[in-house]
Amino acid sequence: MTTQTLRPPAEATTTARRTSERRPDSRPAWLFLAPFGVFYLAFLIGPTVYMFVVSFFNTSIVQPGLGTFAGLGNYAEMLTRSDFWSAMWHTLQFTLYTVPPLVVLSFVFAVLANRVQRGQWFFRLAFFVPFVLPSASISLIWIFLFTPASGLWPQFQSLIGLEPDAVLADPSLAMVGIAVATIWWTIGFNFVLYLAGLQDIPRELYEAASVDGASPWHQIRYITVPLLGRTTTLVIILQIIASLKIFDQVYLMTAGGPGISTQVALGLITNTAFTDYRVGAASAASVLLFIVIVVIAVARQLLDRSDREA
Amino acid sequence: MATTTDRSTRTRGGNGVSAAAPARTDPTRIRSPRTFNIVAGIVLGVFAFLWLVPSFWAIKTSLVSNETASLGADAILRSTDPTLASYATLLQSGQIWNWYLASFVTSAGTVVLTVVFASMAAYALSRLRFRGRKLVFVLILAGIMIPAQVLIVPIFQLLDSFSLLNTYWSVIFPQVPAVIAVFIFKQFFDGLPKELDEAARIDGAGVWRTFWSVIMPLSRPVIAAVSILTFVTVWNNLILPLFVLSNPDLMTIPVGLATVQGSYGQRFADIQASAVLGALPLVILYLLFQRRIVEGVAGTGLKG
Amino acid sequence: MTTTPGWSRRRLLQSALAVGGLGAAGALSGCGSPLAAGLAGTPLNPGTVTFWNLFGGGDGARLQTMLDVYVQEHGGSSSLQAATFAWGNPYYTKVSLATLGDKPPDVAVAHLTRSQNLANADLLTPITDEMLALVDLSPSDFTPKVWDGQKIDGTSYAIPLDTHPFVLFYNKDVCEQAGLLDGSGTLAPIQGVEQWEAALTAAQEVTGAFAVSSANVSENATPWRLFQTLYQQHAGATPFLGDGGTQLTVDEDAALDTLAYIRRMSEQGWLPRAIDYAGSQTQMFTGEAAFYLQGEWEITTAQGVEGLDFGMVPIPQLYDQPAAQGDSHTFVLPRMDRTPEQMQLAMGFVRSMLDQSLTWAKGGHIPAYIPTLESQEYLELTPQADYAQAAEYVVYDAPAWYSGSGSTFENTVGAQVGLVQQQRLTPEQAMAAIRQQLAVYLDTQSPV
Repeated sequence: MTTQTLRPPAEATTTARRTSERRPDSRPAWLFLAPFGVFYLAFLIGPTVYMFVVSFFNTSIVQPGLGTFAGLGNYAEMLTRSDFWSAMWHTLQFTLYTVPPLVVLSFVFAVLANRVQRGQWFFRLAFFVPFVLPSASISLIWIFLFTPASGLWPQFQSLIGLEPDAVLADPSLAMVGIAVATIWWTIGFNFVLYLAGLQDIPRELYEAASVDGASPWHQIRYITVPLLGRTTTLVIILQIIASLKIFDQVYLMTAGGPGISTQVALGLITNTAFTDYRVGAASAASVLLFIVIVVIAVARQLLDRSDREA
Repeated sequence: MATTTDRSTRTRGGNGVSAAAPARTDPTRIRSPRTFNIVAGIVLGVFAFLWLVPSFWAIKTSLVSNETASLGADAILRSTDPTLASYATLLQSGQIWNWYLASFVTSAGTVVLTVVFASMAAYALSRLRFRGRKLVFVLILAGIMIPAQVLIVPIFQLLDSFSLLNTYWSVIFPQVPAVIAVFIFKQFFDGLPKELDEAARIDGAGVWRTFWSVIMPLSRPVIAAVSILTFVTVWNNLILPLFVLSNPDLMTIPVGLATVQGSYGQRFADIQASAVLGALPLVILYLLFQRRIVEGVAGTGLKG
Repeated sequence: MTTTPGWSRRRLLQSALAVGGLGAAGALSGCGSPLAAGLAGTPLNPGTVTFWNLFGGGDGARLQTMLDVYVQEHGGSSSLQAATFAWGNPYYTKVSLATLGDKPPDVAVAHLTRSQNLANADLLTPITDEMLALVDLSPSDFTPKVWDGQKIDGTSYAIPLDTHPFVLFYNKDVCEQAGLLDGSGTLAPIQGVEQWEAALTAAQEVTGAFAVSSANVSENATPWRLFQTLYQQHAGATPFLGDGGTQLTVDEDAALDTLAYIRRMSEQGWLPRAIDYAGSQTQMFTGEAAFYLQGEWEITTAQGVEGLDFGMVPIPQLYDQPAAQGDSHTFVLPRMDRTPEQMQLAMGFVRSMLDQSLTWAKGGHIPAYIPTLESQEYLELTPQADYAQAAEYVVYDAPAWYSGSGSTFENTVGAQVGLVQQQRLTPEQAMAAIRQQLAVYLDTQSPV
């Protein structure tokens, strides 16, 4: 099947709609919405509301009820806790380490793959398959590659005459290690988005440029890059939102260590809730992270809308 | 807005070349200067090779003995007598089968519920006329921005109060309201000719019959796309099952791999074999449905 | 891409499902199957004892032997289901969440210090004398220090298995060359900083590298153990935390003195600046260091090293009094509804483990079960007998809801101590960081 079958053109049906919309079907409509609606309210809206409520209480996971009222105490605590800010900083740090390489490399890979005539399946296999694998497998593989002294990476370092690093054990390198594993893991996603974007650029543009004598490099510079601007915006924003929600790799590869040098926001939240039993404080931290992510998501929608209207 | 889906409709609707289809099929493609393309091929080849190293290394390590693996990279590389001992150990222990079972049941269960419920909701939003449709649409729309991972703490409490912790339902239920699935379905239904429903209903079919016997059979491609993406997402989810499934017999594959340690010792080969076994079902899934997966990911912008 | 014909794809899928089905068949059989439990919430494996532990180190191997014996005596592999989790907070989080989620193990291992927190959170079944009597045990079967240590307001929640102090491992070959052994081939007594430093200097001359190894990379517990051991050797050393964890009661001067000494050992090159857990062992095994500081459980690992001749003694008394950081492993029964049969089964398992205390003791731990502790076989075990006295002056972590083995408290303090050893922080900077990071916990109302 191709995309046409997946998403038929919308215009074709507008006239048809007018005629059929005379009969109101309120009852079946609500019945059709109900199953999804129940889950939507119970597991998306409900928890969101509950999270806001609990964030104002000293709720404990091992005690019944909400506990004593804390007012803004949990927020005050989080906003003055150095480990909260360090977790936020590590989340940002992770974003800074991963987003540029993920955007630039995937762009380069896609542009190159688009030019290479043969073996596309191979490149997609190499770059995209890691993306569908579970984070647990990814982490086990990379922890092993980074095994101090005897792992593949330190041995390679020794081979080329460098001092081998204990990547995940070194507070200044651990986040880099996590970032490298993440880039390896998720680049396929952006790669595929860019490949899709490249298919959209009319061939005639290249033809015309070629006739004008533009080199391949100039074609990329003056046609591909500008026309993929939209995809790039999308990739960057999706990447930032995904980075803010980082949990798996950190939990699995360093558990936030050494010390708290790679602890990220969601790691702090789950530790506070499930290890310290302090659901109230964890909810306050969740709300703060929630707000950051929603603000960026809303910004994305606004950006996208103005972009489309333009 | 369902911006990503809109975008891909626009990007790929026009020329009939799907994202996944290689450009070589396009006869209008310009042959750029050869050297540039050769250089491109070489550069890309080098990167592709680099990208394959970690997977290769995991497989290679999983095929040596634990003793060899503990000696380090050099010994693993030099080892010439592959053994399946690590795989045998893992598959015989039985625990990994429980994990596969949990992953399979939770993923398949979520797929079924998501596909049925999301398509129903989408059908109502696409085809049925009722008061409050706009509002419902906007409400569901808002849900796309809620980062579900951040809700792990309240979701845990909710499941606790329903006494659902440590059941497969605790993994299934919170993942059913995938708003993106409603959008994908709605987009598809919007494109189906209205005459189909009209004809069915003139023949006396009720709304349900029309939906189930007329619309759904036509929706196989979109059902497949949503199913595969949901399956992969649920299979790979870590944070939810990590906290709601704490009994090793009920854990999913990623949680089992991440939390349960085997018997004592340096078991690097076993660990790499477990990483391979955890990944294997998805590699198979990819090989079977690669185009649909690639298209689905590109089309929906689904991400972590 | 090439289009695979539909039928062959379907065939492939079917065969994949068939293979999966074969394996799943095993998982599905039986009424207490995971499938039934996962879908209907039925109890898992009734009639089987489920047992969780956190022994991933050298003691994991000993435990396996003990579990094998239990399985042999109790009707095969279906009688027991044991799981080992990552040590520390992840383990206790799992136990807590499983208990909240009504699927806890029948029996779990807990450090004595952590059992207190689990009990305070109402996650444990109290241990009554009647329960002990089910398997012919009584409180007098356990060493008083440990038995009394696990009680909360007079109620018992844990059945002690052992005591495990932080000890000194030494490489006999290196120490012999350095002239540190006495006539019988064991380490000559060392007392006071002067003798200790003389020994380190002599040892370093032999190794050409380090004198004593202690892990501080990817490892917070070991630096904490080292700190607590030396700190508590100071006269008048107070518990680090007071009043259930709301007060910082550490003796600042003694703490700074201890940190300064750890930094001194690192600066002198006696102690490696940065070494991970496995690496610190290897240094002693390979003679790169004469001494190695760790809990006695690493005896199994050391015994497994071919050609290594080693001994173990209590950490020398450098200051005013003997002291060693330590904890006790205990068995706890997570809160759940149990039939009399299940209770009998759980207690029977505990009894079987206690009966095998000698096997456990071979793995380094000092038994808390008096019949074993006083048995001739135990007294004849070496080098176990050489450090057994340390059990008498083991210092447990101060009680607090965020304290205990592998806890947030240990991680917080241990991380800073580790940085002092790395010479990245001065003692004052480390104390300031500890004070600041603990402030959140000191000020927080206990959630349990």
